[in-house]
Amino acid sequence: MIETPRSRDILKAHHRREALKTLLVHGALILACGVCVYPLLRILAVSLRPGDRIISTDLAIIPQGATWISYIRVFGETNFLFWLWNSLVITVATSVVGVALASTAAYAFSRFRFPGQKLGLSFLLGTQMLPAGMLILPLFLMIMRLKLMNTYLGMVIAYSVSSLPFSIWILKGYYDTIPRSLEEAALVDGTSVFGAFYRIVLPLSTPALAIAFLFNFTQAWNEYLVARVILTDSFKYTWTLGLFDLQGQYLTQWGMFAAASLLVTMPVMAVFLYSSKWLLTGMTLGGVKG
Amino acid sequence: MLAPVLQVLQFALLIAGAVALLEGWLHYHFTRHEKAWFLPVGVLGTVTLVLAGAGALAGGSVEPARLLSLGLGTVAAECAVALFFKHVVRGRHSLPFMLLAPAALGLGLLIAYPLVFEVYLAFHDLKLTTIMAWSRTGELPFVGLKHFGKVFTSSPLSEVSFWQLLLRTVWWTFVNVFFHVAGGFVMALLLNSVTRFKGVYRMLLIVPWAMPQVVAVLAMRGEFHSQYGFVNVMLTKLASAAPFLGDLGVGPVQWLGQHPFLTCTIINVWLGIPFMAVVILGGLQSISRHYYDAASIDGASAFQQFRMITLPLIRPVLAPAVTLGTVWTFNNINVIYLVTGQAGGTEDADILVSALYKAAFAFYRYSYSAAFALIVFLLLFTFSMVWLKWSKGSESLYD
Repeated sequence: MIETPRSRDILKAHHRREALKTLLVHGALILACGVCVYPLLRILAVSLRPGDRIISTDLAIIPQGATWISYIRVFGETNFLFWLWNSLVITVATSVVGVALASTAAYAFSRFRFPGQKLGLSFLLGTQMLPAGMLILPLFLMIMRLKLMNTYLGMVIAYSVSSLPFSIWILKGYYDTIPRSLEEAALVDGTSVFGAFYRIVLPLSTPALAIAFLFNFTQAWNEYLVARVILTDSFKYTWTLGLFDLQGQYLTQWGMFAAASLLVTMPVMAVFLYSSKWLLTGMTLGGVKG
Repeated sequence: MLAPVLQVLQFALLIAGAVALLEGWLHYHFTRHEKAWFLPVGVLGTVTLVLAGAGALAGGSVEPARLLSLGLGTVAAECAVALFFKHVVRGRHSLPFMLLAPAALGLGLLIAYPLVFEVYLAFHDLKLTTIMAWSRTGELPFVGLKHFGKVFTSSPLSEVSFWQLLLRTVWWTFVNVFFHVAGGFVMALLLNSVTRFKGVYRMLLIVPWAMPQVVAVLAMRGEFHSQYGFVNVMLTKLASAAPFLGDLGVGPVQWLGQHPFLTCTIINVWLGIPFMAVVILGGLQSISRHYYDAASIDGASAFQQFRMITLPLIRPVLAPAVTLGTVWTFNNINVIYLVTGQAGGTEDADILVSALYKAAFAFYRYSYSAAFALIVFLLLFTFSMVWLKWSKGSESLYD
């Protein structure tokens, strides 16, 4: 292209327009990020406020006279450590059971053709269409009759299959991408079909198993409604119940609520942000394939 | 700290035992069906197992008459199953069924059985006054379709009617999904057009989704507090900084007291946009640049490119996400329950599922809420089936 004064002007105008556009886009994105993150920063602000200024219209992120007192009070004056421990025990047990059951079932759906296969997959999909809360009532009554109220066992029973359909879908999608020739080679070498699954497919599926575990974990860790019904003893509460009670009653407990929230949120969020890309891949696998 | 560990171990043993029993039972039926002793041993073993299980569950105090009927029933069922295995199955498909058995047992006991139990409850009368007798004797008075009728004639809570709830649910679902998709599209298009700081923006934008929902919703509820919440503080400042806005009616609003539904909707829109944005962004990134280059050479405007290239190509990603999002929004008890609190709180924000939960656990109307749940289930199921047929969203799920 021959450089003429005119073409240079056009090019300059074009660059200026592009620069303005980029600036606007970045501005909009920064605004959106602010809206997304601000409530979290506000929790931080409230958690740092000194006792006499918990309730105020102050908007500063780091308040005047910031202290750690709320964090100390959470551990000293509430059952926060009990709540965390309860959540951890219930969640880990639930996730292990969920992934163990899902891994074999998904293999059956992925590799075999058997009568009732399509029906089974439809049933799994159908469970996602049950209204939330529909199963809580019968589960609650069953657990009450088995005298498992206020126990870890009751909670794990109530949680254990709630993420199973979704885990099976994720794992089936992943197994489908592993070439069958690997298992066939193992069969030729003399392993059983189950051995091929256990020694070849499972180790290769570690990422998908991790996603399924993580999904089970976050679901159970963040669950509130079932726990509300089954746990009534404050020492047996999971952290979601404890937090709700802290926030619900008196405004003066906002500081402790905020401190506890932050303590619980940070590790969960770190794991989530780290793994969100894979989690999403698992979720949309079925859709992208078509 | 030892007790919980023991409880978890006990649970692990329970699960392992159940799985082992089930697999053993299946294995026997799949592999030994040609032996002469197949039927008698199968019947004997199964009856022993069932009776032992029933005895353990009831704490060893089962009436002899019940025991007898249970035993005879098991004999009949086992004979039928064994003959089925012997003459129809004949060892075929043994592996997939054995792999599926543990999950099937779990889903059967904890999803299918509760559903059947729910139907039973809906036709009987379980409420706060009959629950003590029920937990002693296990018997409930049969009332037929009474509760189904009552769902439509009397309020599930104390004032709001079923039809109001239904309308509000439809409105809630529509508004939320609309803003999720629209907001998600805007976010995704913005994100897709920048090159610098993309990772940082993306990470910050999914914060609402990454936070535990309980924390996010409770924190947002605090921001809508009439006096100390961020929203009203800002509105007050705005009104005092620019008095003409105050004259126009800008000022603090009783969010939780007077506009609970609007508050819940705002919170849920805030919560749901990141998921859609990330899904749509994934879709956008998979569309080849060449289409846009070709289109812009042909003189297509940005809007035309969006309509003719982006929308059709993003459909396979968007359709399942919208389906999921619709079901999730319809089913969202969390936001509404956490914002409006328990019994005694306002009913002006309740949708079908949150009313269902409150009817059972704040008003203790168990049988009523079972009937209510079945009706809501039929609604949701019908809608989903029609939607899936129409959008063909499930086709890709099956291969």
